[in-house]
Amino acid sequence: MASSLIADPTSSSHNLYSFSPSDQTASDIRQHSFYPYTDNGGSTLGITGNDFAILAGDTRSTSGYSINSRYAPKVYRIGGEDETGEGAHIVLSLVGYAADGTALQERLNTVVKMYKYQHGKRMTVKACAQRLATILYSKRFFPYYVQAILAGLDEDGRGALYSYDPVGSYEREQCRAAGAAASLIMPFLDNQVNFKNQYMPGSGEGHDLHAKQAEPLPRQEVERLVKDAFTSATERHIEVGDGLQMLIVTAKGVEETFYPLKRD
Amino acid sequence: MASPFSINGGACVAMVGKDCVAIACDLRLGLQSMTVSNNFPKIFSYGNVYLGLTGLATDVSTVSDLFRYKVNMYRLREERSISPQTMANLVSTSLYEKRFGPYFVSPVVAGINHTTGKPFICGFDSIGCIDFAKDFIVSGTASDQLFGTCEGLWEPDLEPEDLFETVSQALLNAVDRDALSGWGAHVYIIEKDKVTKRLLKGRQD
Repeated sequence: MASSLIADPTSSSHNLYSFSPSDQTASDIRQHSFYPYTDNGGSTLGITGNDFAILAGDTRSTSGYSINSRYAPKVYRIGGEDETGEGAHIVLSLVGYAADGTALQERLNTVVKMYKYQHGKRMTVKACAQRLATILYSKRFFPYYVQAILAGLDEDGRGALYSYDPVGSYEREQCRAAGAAASLIMPFLDNQVNFKNQYMPGSGEGHDLHAKQAEPLPRQEVERLVKDAFTSATERHIEVGDGLQMLIVTAKGVEETFYPLKRD
Repeated sequence: MASPFSINGGACVAMVGKDCVAIACDLRLGLQSMTVSNNFPKIFSYGNVYLGLTGLATDVSTVSDLFRYKVNMYRLREERSISPQTMANLVSTSLYEKRFGPYFVSPVVAGINHTTGKPFICGFDSIGCIDFAKDFIVSGTASDQLFGTCEGLWEPDLEPEDLFETVSQALLNAVDRDALSGWGAHVYIIEKDKVTKRLLKGRQD
């Protein structure tokens, strides 16, 4: 046999070479993959009042157990005159995949700006809400991986708030929490903003009981609830913390406040 | 298939107040999205110690019966009723015995220690690791929602009536945001020498 004549004394008779035979066979089947999304955590929250709307979001950005940034805003001004957002009348919060959030915010901002140039008037929140839904649905099969909340003042000057799923299904609401700690914040809001499970004392027994009617809350009260909701979420959710940014829309324009949260 | 912890659904919460403790649970029993019963309490009493059990319903029944047996045996041997602290250690060791084939339950213990007069609550994972908490313990499929409501509503040194309102609102609003929990609730307010049990109707959907 040929192999026995040229065999390396150190190798066994069936192996002719110093490297293993598997090295020269075609490489093993390997599965390559690319996942285009990351969850950057964080939470947002919006509440409306009689003549104002508040959008809030924490400023932590995470991937896995790492903190990428302690100050990465996810609440944006829409329809401003320049990059500072001066003169904006609509606010937008985007939580989920931060890159998609930035991209979508830029796109909506451009649309609202172009609307003003072409029509010579400001876009209403109602129109902006419908436009955002169309933009989200236009990427139905490769979505922007975000949960959006849009807020401003409606045609009557009342607080307006719209919440979205990633592909553009939307609804006008009084309040909404989105993002990582939405499941923690939302039931608290049901109770404290819409007075769910609360009844008027002495209004009857059993089915005669009258539910406490929800009414728009004053701004001070809403700001207190937003801070409470975020300090609570920070306490129990690892992806929430660092800072709380609030954008408040009134007839005068958009105000911004910042409140530090726990950084652990 | 779904996790054994979320097949049947259910929620439980315990809170500490001023010289009192509260423990409450929902009443739903389901099979995935189908509700089978709206009268399945998850709190069991062993003398003056209360045990809440959420998770796989068959294990809830088995474990509650197992502890009835164990606590009865304790009382016969020791000729005294079991303290909440001792109950906590009994639960912990019993669950760890099944370390590699656990009961799929998340227990909660609540009670007042009759020697010291101090309120006591604690929670466990399914293999018996104890979570001693000074404020509140949550468990079940609505645990995320309960963390949110409890963290937002609870404050230190609540009187029994205020603790009842707090624990009830925390539970009711939490289970209304969880499809697997709800359909009424049981609330126990435990004081030094008085226990008040209330049945809350809650949303029936």
